[in-house]
Amino acid sequence: MSVDAAVETKTVFGSEVPQPPQHGAAGGVMRRLNFGTGLVCGIGLATIAGWVTAIITPSSASSDTFAPMEPTYVYLAVLLGWFIGFMLGMGAFVGPLRWVVGRDITHSDAEYMAGKDLGRKRYWKYTTDHKVVGIQYLIVAMLVLGFAGLLAMLIRTELGMTWTSLFTPSFYNSMIGTHGIAMIIGMIVIISGPLGNFIVPMMIGARDMAFPRLNALSLWLFVSAVPMLVSSMFMGGIQDGWSVYYPLSAQAPPGMLGYQLTIIVFAISTAVASVNLMTTILTMRAKGMTWSRTPIFVYGIFAASVMGLYAFPFFQYAQILGLSDRVFNTSFFDPLNGGSVWLYENLFWLLGHPEVYVILIPSMAVALELMPVFLRKPLFSFNFAVAGIVGVVALSGLVWAHHMYMTGWAPAANYPFMLSTELISIPVGFLVLVAIGTFWRGTAWTRLPLMAVYAVVFNKMIGGVTGVYLSDVPADQYFHGSMFVVAHFHYMLMGAGLFGAMAGIAFFFPKMTGRFLDERVGSIGLWTAFIGFQITFMSMFVAGLQGQPRRVLDFDDQFNLSNWISTIGAYVIGIGMLIFLSAIITSWRSGVLASSNPWGSKSLEWQTATPVPLENFPVLPVVTERPYDYGVPDPYEAELDSTDQDLTEKAGTK
Amino acid sequence: MSTSTFPVSPTTGEPISTMARRSRLGLWFFIVADVAGTIALVISYTYLWSLNVNGGWAPPGATLTASQTNTALPSTPPKATFAAEWPFWAIFLVVVIATALMWFGYRSARSGNHAGLMVGAGLSFLVTVAALVFQWIQISTFPFDAGDGGYASAVLLLCASNIFHLLLLLFLGMGIFMRARKGLIDKTNWYQAQLTSYYMTWVCVAFILGAILTTFLVVSPNTDPAIFGTFKQQ
Repeated sequence: MSVDAAVETKTVFGSEVPQPPQHGAAGGVMRRLNFGTGLVCGIGLATIAGWVTAIITPSSASSDTFAPMEPTYVYLAVLLGWFIGFMLGMGAFVGPLRWVVGRDITHSDAEYMAGKDLGRKRYWKYTTDHKVVGIQYLIVAMLVLGFAGLLAMLIRTELGMTWTSLFTPSFYNSMIGTHGIAMIIGMIVIISGPLGNFIVPMMIGARDMAFPRLNALSLWLFVSAVPMLVSSMFMGGIQDGWSVYYPLSAQAPPGMLGYQLTIIVFAISTAVASVNLMTTILTMRAKGMTWSRTPIFVYGIFAASVMGLYAFPFFQYAQILGLSDRVFNTSFFDPLNGGSVWLYENLFWLLGHPEVYVILIPSMAVALELMPVFLRKPLFSFNFAVAGIVGVVALSGLVWAHHMYMTGWAPAANYPFMLSTELISIPVGFLVLVAIGTFWRGTAWTRLPLMAVYAVVFNKMIGGVTGVYLSDVPADQYFHGSMFVVAHFHYMLMGAGLFGAMAGIAFFFPKMTGRFLDERVGSIGLWTAFIGFQITFMSMFVAGLQGQPRRVLDFDDQFNLSNWISTIGAYVIGIGMLIFLSAIITSWRSGVLASSNPWGSKSLEWQTATPVPLENFPVLPVVTERPYDYGVPDPYEAELDSTDQDLTEKAGTK
Repeated sequence: MSTSTFPVSPTTGEPISTMARRSRLGLWFFIVADVAGTIALVISYTYLWSLNVNGGWAPPGATLTASQTNTALPSTPPKATFAAEWPFWAIFLVVVIATALMWFGYRSARSGNHAGLMVGAGLSFLVTVAALVFQWIQISTFPFDAGDGGYASAVLLLCASNIFHLLLLLFLGMGIFMRARKGLIDKTNWYQAQLTSYYMTWVCVAFILGAILTTFLVVSPNTDPAIFGTFKQQ
């Protein structure tokens, strides 16, 4: 159809919209590109780049500071080749190139790229629909967490077999470092990725994210980073913990490049995702969705995005400088030539601590989001919860140096940082108090998501209280570098973070898949993992209090008992997680069908059909009330009632 | 069913003003991330400058006063000095000109002067190319190598950051010019030229930060630096 002979138009949400010229079939070159072409191009370009670099690099090449450079250069070329080739093969550059040459996409192109009528194929493509991206994020994040969890099992096996050694010390170190960073990356993504993408746009009443192509870009950047991280294990590994402090990192084998490039790419992915989520939340909320009517989960995702946006570049630049030291022989972190290892530590922890809240806040927010639904009462002090989130964001950038009390950097700064760290426990405490207040006198409809919230609150309290000890300089002198620290941060990141993700997945599963997550199997998995978690990390607290250092392969016999118990607990966690995973897989394939709003929730994402149509809402919704007014009389109805009553009273008087 | 009488997005049907507002906010957030990265570089530069670890800030052979010389400095013969200051300012000036031209193009687009837009965007692109060439010449003629201490490292990374920014500007400038040529930027739809102008303005700030550092924070004030060992593989 057309209004003008020269300009084609298309009906878009009821309006005739002029279209740019359509070049070929809708979707253009994107029709031919998918994950397969991404793999082929990535592997192909990696092979060619590595081969050419091996030819042109003299085998005798070396630097003043590091080991022979040939493997470093070749590995770097392979990683860069993989990254560029994969993104090229996925079609990531098509949009920017079309923009430069002025060949804008049409509505039909956009619909194709959003996966319209593509069926399951859309999950293997550079699809822009936020719901597809959410599912893709969920699967990739679970794969990353599964890989990191497998390494955790191997680590615990080694530590539990106190009578022998299964692995060489360097491979053990490599497993520790890779497990750490893979878990951190996976945990950062597991809520903000799947639920932030799938749920948030619907929750605010939008049709899609603000920048759909950037949405796909953030996902596929993340995907491209995963093989880089895994490949590092085959190049000597990450042998210096997830924080890769210098000078150890400078002396590490070429596998360190895998870590550095993973972080550089992941930071870009995070920045892109953060920009997209923040812009979506700020500009695309439904009419009537004031800040007091915006669900708490949206606040949580927004807060995580803010922290990711300002903090990740520091981590990214720390790795860029480290890579530059390694490859170009600069000396940012080489004290012999004017560098400083403390510079690295500062840059690293400027992200390192906000990152804890990037994981924790969405987890707490998802818990607070679903509690009113299952307790059928309003959130206890919505404003208090928002204040807690704002307080965490405000203070998150002022606490980094509590990780450096014992490094000798600026001892005079220890006490201000102790104060700021103890201060941040106040807004974090707000969130726990809001959760407890919401439980208070609630009529609990104890379904699987709410069970996971019980676990989150319990773990969060233990993690929070033990964290206060570590923020205290005198106490940290004893606890620093011990298994106590390991137990503490597992309570925060896994106990609160991962169990929060389980709560969120169980809650939103019916909307994402159209089916219920199997309550029975899921609950067995959840509680098995919870019990295993307590066994593992309570015992680890004991080992830490006894003085067992972390990251150490061989230790004194006095720590044997607690390590045996921790290892048994870890296997129980593993079994629990596998059971939960099996619940996800079987329910996804053949679970009980769910209606569009099976929990009777009042928020917008549940008011649309399941499966969710491409445009989310046929007509954009208008919000007229708060999201958690369960059990509160409708003010309008109440007004009508009182008017009726007045009239009755007046009639009676007459 | 109505036919749009105002400029709308061909993909979503939303008014261009809505797209512009959204994109402008997105750009500000991207700039926040870029600012954080630039601050990381500034911190790195000033941190190493202030500490002068092992007396290794200055390149070997850099001109130092007697009081600034210490025994920890390598005893190798002088071979290099600090970088000249004026090229940092000269490149900054070129980027400012490119930015001013883009602003001219954008303002022309708003007022319906298509020729002005073409001239502004085209010249901005060419001047950016010149800035990139100057930047490359500066890097390749530095009187030190990457391994010549903290100053050399920090300056080279600042320049690398400049190159990254210039490449982005090239991409954006070329896009604006090509799109202007095709009539996709005009009096009713100019927000992409506006966003490019905004981003270029931020890039000017990043460049001037680098120029200030390399002009006013050259010789380390720390004349009694800490002396550490080496982490060379033995």
